[in-house]
Amino acid sequence: MYNNYGASYQEQRLQQMMEQKQLKDFMRMYSNLVSRCFEDCVSDFTSNTLNDKELTCVNRCTLKNMKLNERIGQRFAEENAKLMEDQAKMGR
Amino acid sequence: MFGGVFGGSQKPVGQAAPGGMGGGMGQAQMDPNAQLAAAEQEMEMVTDMFARLGDLCYKKCLIQRYSDEELTKAESVCTDRCVAKYFQVNRDVSEKLAKLSQANQ
Repeated sequence: MYNNYGASYQEQRLQQMMEQKQLKDFMRMYSNLVSRCFEDCVSDFTSNTLNDKELTCVNRCTLKNMKLNERIGQRFAEENAKLMEDQAKMGR
Repeated sequence: MFGGVFGGSQKPVGQAAPGGMGGGMGQAQMDPNAQLAAAEQEMEMVTDMFARLGDLCYKKCLIQRYSDEELTKAESVCTDRCVAKYFQVNRDVSEKLAKLSQANQ
């Protein structure tokens, strides 16, 4: 019934899957950052290059949003851990 | 396990099932392929939830003018509460849904 690939094969596939997901996740974060900072910072279309104001804005926007993501990640992990603890309690 | 999502140094979250919808019981006897698929689905769910949460709290909490590159005190506090409340809403909705679907059976 089960495929006898062995544990190492499954581990390998899991590893592969995780790497793919992490890459996808990073790409999503990246494109999200670009759209946020574009939307929040770029509004002057009298030139085809970013002006100084827009450049500073984009810089700050990138850094600030990364800090925001980090903070959300920390809180998310805490809440998630709490949730799982509750579920483990309910399961018993 | 979700190192990429949580910025590295966090302790691993293990197998996560937000909202109590995972239903990963009896994993010991499961087909390893099914187990893998379940893990994948679970991870998909967590990362998806995280992405939506990020978008929501950005919209709700960040002052989108960038006079500075630091999160202000107000923005930080707002973010913490935003995450906590998001989880609360998740829990509430899933409880209500469970009750409703039970009543409908």
